[in-house]
Amino acid sequence: MSQGHDAHATSHEAGAVHSHRGAYIRLGVILTIVTAIELALPFLKDYPEIWNPIKPVWAPLLVVMSIAKFGAVVAEFMHLRGDRRVYQFLFMSPLLLAVVLFPAVGALSVVTFRPFGEGYASTAIDVRSGYVAPTKGPALEAPLADEKFVLAFNEAKGKNFEAGKKIFGEKCVSCHGKAGEGVANLGFNLTDNCYKYGSTFKDLYLTVAKGQNGGKMPAWSASMKGEEMRQVVYYIKSLKGSNAAGGQPCVGDQVAD
Amino acid sequence: MSAELAHADDVALSHDAGHESDHDHGHPATVENNFLGLPNIKLAMWAFLGSECMFFGSLIGTYFFYHGKSLAGPLPQDVFSIGITSISTFLLLMSSLTMALAVDAMKLGNKNSARNFLLVTALLGATFVGFQVYEFSHFVHMGLGLSTSLFSSTFYVMTGFHGGHVTIGVIWLTMLALLIHQGKLNTQRLPVSVEVAGLYWHFVDIVWIVIFTFVYLLEFIQ
Repeated sequence: MSQGHDAHATSHEAGAVHSHRGAYIRLGVILTIVTAIELALPFLKDYPEIWNPIKPVWAPLLVVMSIAKFGAVVAEFMHLRGDRRVYQFLFMSPLLLAVVLFPAVGALSVVTFRPFGEGYASTAIDVRSGYVAPTKGPALEAPLADEKFVLAFNEAKGKNFEAGKKIFGEKCVSCHGKAGEGVANLGFNLTDNCYKYGSTFKDLYLTVAKGQNGGKMPAWSASMKGEEMRQVVYYIKSLKGSNAAGGQPCVGDQVAD
Repeated sequence: MSAELAHADDVALSHDAGHESDHDHGHPATVENNFLGLPNIKLAMWAFLGSECMFFGSLIGTYFFYHGKSLAGPLPQDVFSIGITSISTFLLLMSSLTMALAVDAMKLGNKNSARNFLLVTALLGATFVGFQVYEFSHFVHMGLGLSTSLFSSTFYVMTGFHGGHVTIGVIWLTMLALLIHQGKLNTQRLPVSVEVAGLYWHFVDIVWIVIFTFVYLLEFIQ
């Protein structure tokens, strides 16, 4: 991106004011290409043979591309490169402060305020419901700070889960069975790894809210609040893979995770 | 309209003492310069953008501080739609290009071209805001309200403030294009006026470059 100034010196008449148009358009094309590479990512995930080898390098590569784009826009479009020192100082010093300060505060807080740190983000319920992967290292050590907070934190999670379980017991068991094992010709098995309409929160939520299978699964948004649908989905996610006895056969795609 | 512009030129030039000496970056001397010999308005904008770094830094930092600590779903992976967000991201990126071209055209004294590029920039920005409104309403439909979880609160405040900045920018650029069209601005000041609006606009774009990569794209790596 440094060719901008050299280019206009040769391709344009030198004068009091000169055009950077060519350099700007070139940079626009480069930024487009970089963005296209970034966006290829979510689609590559569907091709494991391509995705798996490059998986470890994608995160750092994305960060580098983002910083490069950031720098290119500031240096060229905002013309900070080669501009007065005072402008550079006014912008760069708070930028560096922000880049250093906020991650540092975040890191420090994880150490000193344990409830937000590793080991406490994931309770057993989280792990069961598929929301949070089990933490590495010794799980659930003694808290370093604020025991009350930990209790409140876990209680809130538990309430969510219990509320979802209760709603499931009232509205869902007639078709999906008491343990979610499914009922022939009525409701699919929710305890295997097969989800005809998807198993992410989004898929499950939309299935609950809008209904599926030509109305066999009713649209619950008519009679349930968003909060309630969220809680029941939270519970349904915990059923996946529990393989309740007498479960209905697999319908739809096998979901790996 | 051209008669008005010519008149504005004359008025400006009659007050223009040091115009010939200044061809550093095309800042005419009629702009109120400070003791450093720099246009005050541009210096103020850079200082403001410096403070904005801290402002958005704190919002983005807060988002990551609470990342993965939400009590209830939906979580980012459940609601984010990379396809839709990439379109709006691309539009915002291209608006930075048209903004740079507007500044360039204005420096060359090409008012009509500058006005048109400003309008295109504002239009792209407005489309970005439209996409964000759609995204937010989709998320709310998914059960993700402002106070649903740590994720939703930090996400809405962060992206909402960014969307607010874009909205202000759209209004600013539209007004600027309108005033240029009507010839109501001092011609000597115009290049700096457009340049300063451009600085603000590019900053809004780079904030989104950071948010898009760190909030949206990296979410799909894990």
